[in-house]
Amino acid sequence: MQSQKSIASIPHADYSKLGLTKDILQNMLRKMIEIRRFEERVERLFLQEGVLIGPSHLYLGQEAVAAGAISALKDDDLIVTTYRGHGHAIAKGVPMKPLMAELFGKSTGTCKGLGGSMHAAIYPEKGSVYATAIVGSGVPIATGLGLALQQEGKRRVAMTFFGDGATNTGAFHEGINLASIWKVPVVFVCENNMYAMSTRADYAVSAESVAARAEAYKMQSIIADGNDPVSVYLAAKRATDACRNGQGPTLLECITYKLHGHGVYDKGDYRPKEEVEAWLKRDPINGLEANLLKANLSTQTDFDRIEKEVAAEVEESVMFAKTSPALPFDELEKYVYVR
Amino acid sequence: MFTVAMPRLDPGMQSGKIIEWLKKEGDRVEKDVPIVRIEGEKTTFEAHSPGPGIVRKLLFEPGTDVLVGQTIAFIGEPSEPLPIEAEAHATSEPVGIQKAVLFSPAVSRAQEQSASPVARKMAREAGIDISKVKGSGPGGRIVREDVQMAIEQTKTQMATVSVSPQEARPVRVAKMIKLAGKRKATAERLSYAFHTTVPVTITMEARMEAVLELRRQLQSRTGEDVSMTAYVVKAAAKALEDHEIINSSLEGDELRVYADINVAVAINTPDGLMAPIIPQTNRKSVSEISRDIRDLTERAMQDKLTVLDLTGGTFTVTNLGGYGVDLFAPVINPPQCAILGFGRTFERPVVIERQLRTALVTTLSLVFDHRITDGVPAAQYLQQVKELLEDPQKLD
Amino acid sequence: MPELTYADALREGLREEMLRDHRVVLIGEEIGVFEGVYKVTRGLLKEFGPERVRDTPISEAAIAGAAVGAALGGLRPVAEIMYMDFVTICLDQIATNAAKMHFMSGGRLKVPFVLRTQYSLGRVHGAQHSQFFPSIFFQVPGLKVVLPSTPHDAKGLLKAAIREENPVVFIESGVLYRTKGPVPDGEYVVPLGQSDVKRTGNDVTIVAVSRTVPEALAAATKLEEQGVTAEVVDLRTIQPLDLTTILGSVKKTGRLIIVSDDVKCGGIGSEIAARVVEEAFDTLDAPILRIASPDMPIPFSPTLEQAYMPSAQKIIESAKKLIG
Repeated sequence: MQSQKSIASIPHADYSKLGLTKDILQNMLRKMIEIRRFEERVERLFLQEGVLIGPSHLYLGQEAVAAGAISALKDDDLIVTTYRGHGHAIAKGVPMKPLMAELFGKSTGTCKGLGGSMHAAIYPEKGSVYATAIVGSGVPIATGLGLALQQEGKRRVAMTFFGDGATNTGAFHEGINLASIWKVPVVFVCENNMYAMSTRADYAVSAESVAARAEAYKMQSIIADGNDPVSVYLAAKRATDACRNGQGPTLLECITYKLHGHGVYDKGDYRPKEEVEAWLKRDPINGLEANLLKANLSTQTDFDRIEKEVAAEVEESVMFAKTSPALPFDELEKYVYVR
Repeated sequence: MFTVAMPRLDPGMQSGKIIEWLKKEGDRVEKDVPIVRIEGEKTTFEAHSPGPGIVRKLLFEPGTDVLVGQTIAFIGEPSEPLPIEAEAHATSEPVGIQKAVLFSPAVSRAQEQSASPVARKMAREAGIDISKVKGSGPGGRIVREDVQMAIEQTKTQMATVSVSPQEARPVRVAKMIKLAGKRKATAERLSYAFHTTVPVTITMEARMEAVLELRRQLQSRTGEDVSMTAYVVKAAAKALEDHEIINSSLEGDELRVYADINVAVAINTPDGLMAPIIPQTNRKSVSEISRDIRDLTERAMQDKLTVLDLTGGTFTVTNLGGYGVDLFAPVINPPQCAILGFGRTFERPVVIERQLRTALVTTLSLVFDHRITDGVPAAQYLQQVKELLEDPQKLD
Repeated sequence: MPELTYADALREGLREEMLRDHRVVLIGEEIGVFEGVYKVTRGLLKEFGPERVRDTPISEAAIAGAAVGAALGGLRPVAEIMYMDFVTICLDQIATNAAKMHFMSGGRLKVPFVLRTQYSLGRVHGAQHSQFFPSIFFQVPGLKVVLPSTPHDAKGLLKAAIREENPVVFIESGVLYRTKGPVPDGEYVVPLGQSDVKRTGNDVTIVAVSRTVPEALAAATKLEEQGVTAEVVDLRTIQPLDLTTILGSVKKTGRLIIVSDDVKCGGIGSEIAARVVEEAFDTLDAPILRIASPDMPIPFSPTLEQAYMPSAQKIIESAKKLIG
């Protein structure tokens, strides 16, 4: 049994030593910027423009986890995510146009407008096989997915994302336990952003840490710095390697923080101001950019170019979404069952 | 308000005859006081008041047969309004006669019977009055079987006697048409009328020059082509205002003198004769009536007449003049009192002030039911129709 | 024709499908080493090994969730929930996730798995181990719900369910496991969504499902002695419902009795009665009657449970009431 390990934030000087190439790093940065700008745009569409409606849970502030963890996956690996899944979708390669169109409820969306924000990440072509709105329910599903991959025997890995609150649900414990006894190739990524809505994790989670819970199930675990994509990447790499080598699942706890509240309308007033300010200073995008500059792996021009390209891509996706039609109602019947 | 219904005192009793009312309308009675003597299948008995009150209405005359369960009297306080059921339902109709589509007498609500949906549907389609079917299902419910039996009985009642082939001369049949639908309904209605009414025909000739002139003027002024029938219909309707007894109907013992004048106009269609009505005919102008006739004719040809078109008639006008008929005695449209027929308007010799002249004349024939009225009132009515036609300015 | 028990027929169905398709995997409690609490999975662990016959801890949510995930990943899982009473523990995975995934994803996701369960009403198992509430699944669009009453149908329907692309809830009757019936040799499948007229008659239609089917047939035999012929329709699948067969029968007889083991209030009889009135009002010669369990938890005491359950006697009395 491997006890939990920690991977703290990685100094840039160690990048090449740890096998982090410029490509990997720039790719991760790009992913983080895509996620950030997409989510910011969505926020404006909800709040300032009043164009979007319904529940939406933005990934702002957690970009390092999606970018870092998913960069460690191969293209044919699979992910299961949640209602806070736009970030994972983008990191996995889901194009922005159908993603945005889904938020608008249009027929060109990832779910043809039938799922909405909470299920928008579903995109099997890119290996994003499910996004659930029920907290914790993705964990046993990921276990089953891992079972299928294990039987398949092609060393593919399943990775699932959930929050600190999910680790209190029955489904989580049942799923983790079952995954452990079957030794399925699954990386269970807990994005501990310290709050489940307004409920603090240090109140609700009766354990030393989320990772410590894995120990109760004889499962390997790692704690990573959720605001350093490199830390997350290395942890995820270790976990996926273990999966591919038949060593079974890992619980990967990433400590991170949301820029805003639980849902797009939630201001997060219940969080102490000093706490918020302290975390804002640790912005993952700023952090990686600073490191890349210091390590001479990128220039400000590179960053500006990325920002420009991403801004255009985001706007294009909004235009696409706005001009797409919704499904006509009498077509819905045929989606209830596979015919 | 207490309802007194015809009770069933013999197990097999279907209807009872009212022998004698023991109380009259207006009498105050207590509960359980005998109010009527009734003859059942096997016995004579007295029915009692179901509660205290004034005898508000007795619905049937002594000597009438009333179906078991049907209301025969109301007992209540003077302040209570009488229910609609206070119109008695005639019991003389034998089961199986199809209610003709062309007319329907004002029928009161039949007693609500428990009947299954399929039984109701079958009865409806077979034209059987379901309230007359005996129910054998749970709780006396009328079920499919019962209606089936009623249909069978109807068939046997209408069976005809056939002639033995050795006696009759065989005749070759060119075409066999089964009497059905409207034709059949018409046949039954006319037969019924013939057998129940006492028709008497009186005729008068009317000079039509004035009408024709009026018609010509209207046409040249407005281009409107008003039919001859429209003038006759208006004249008939207007005259009814002064001879209300002609604007009536007789059903059983009930003579109804109507407040509305709704003249039905006979229209010949490929399917048979239809007589849709022009509501409030006396209140319409000749032009309006002409337009109505045209519309009704069109719809009759397309088989688009509605129940409202075909019911509620109080008098009928029929015209065979277009087919070369001079004079004919049409069959009354039951239960109406009378029908006015007229033939073609044509030039014929007349004697005016001992001079032989020619005039445009049409023959009006009024056939009336002598049970309802007599020759003199009928003649007076027809006289007024004639006068209105000869002085048509008085029409509108 | 060979005769098999209902349990053995199910096992044959599972085995044949596991041989035919390597993706078929069994997940459940006590299905491997113990060979199943009702021996439905006898011998399968030995034949197919622990990779394909997986014993689980007591984790209904994980069992159902794993079935969903495995189906997403390309397997054809058959998950077992030992008693229908436990199904509420994993209702989230079945109703809120699996049933909706195809629709919510705009048709992109498919979740082909079978959730097998059984209800023990009639075996004196008490209130928490006897419940039968197919309405819970019946009412969730996206699921198919199957209830066999004979060994022949059990095997054929299970095979069809395993081959079905949609999630199927397959409800067995604990009382019927030991009943025997003819099961043909050779490959056959009973299609989902088709009722079966198990006995023809003219005077009354009795629609029944699962354990109440043999009760209805027993009632029909007794009624025939009294000159009343009953037509017994075994629903077999309730979602999708074969309304056509029911309507055809009611048109002929004009009378309908629906008998099922769930409680009367909101039971499947309610939906069937409503649909028949909507579609075939004018064929009814009598009110539609439902025979169901009374609206109360199941009493333990054996005589009380017998009085609680729908029975042939209750069917006979209702039929008489309808005919009068």
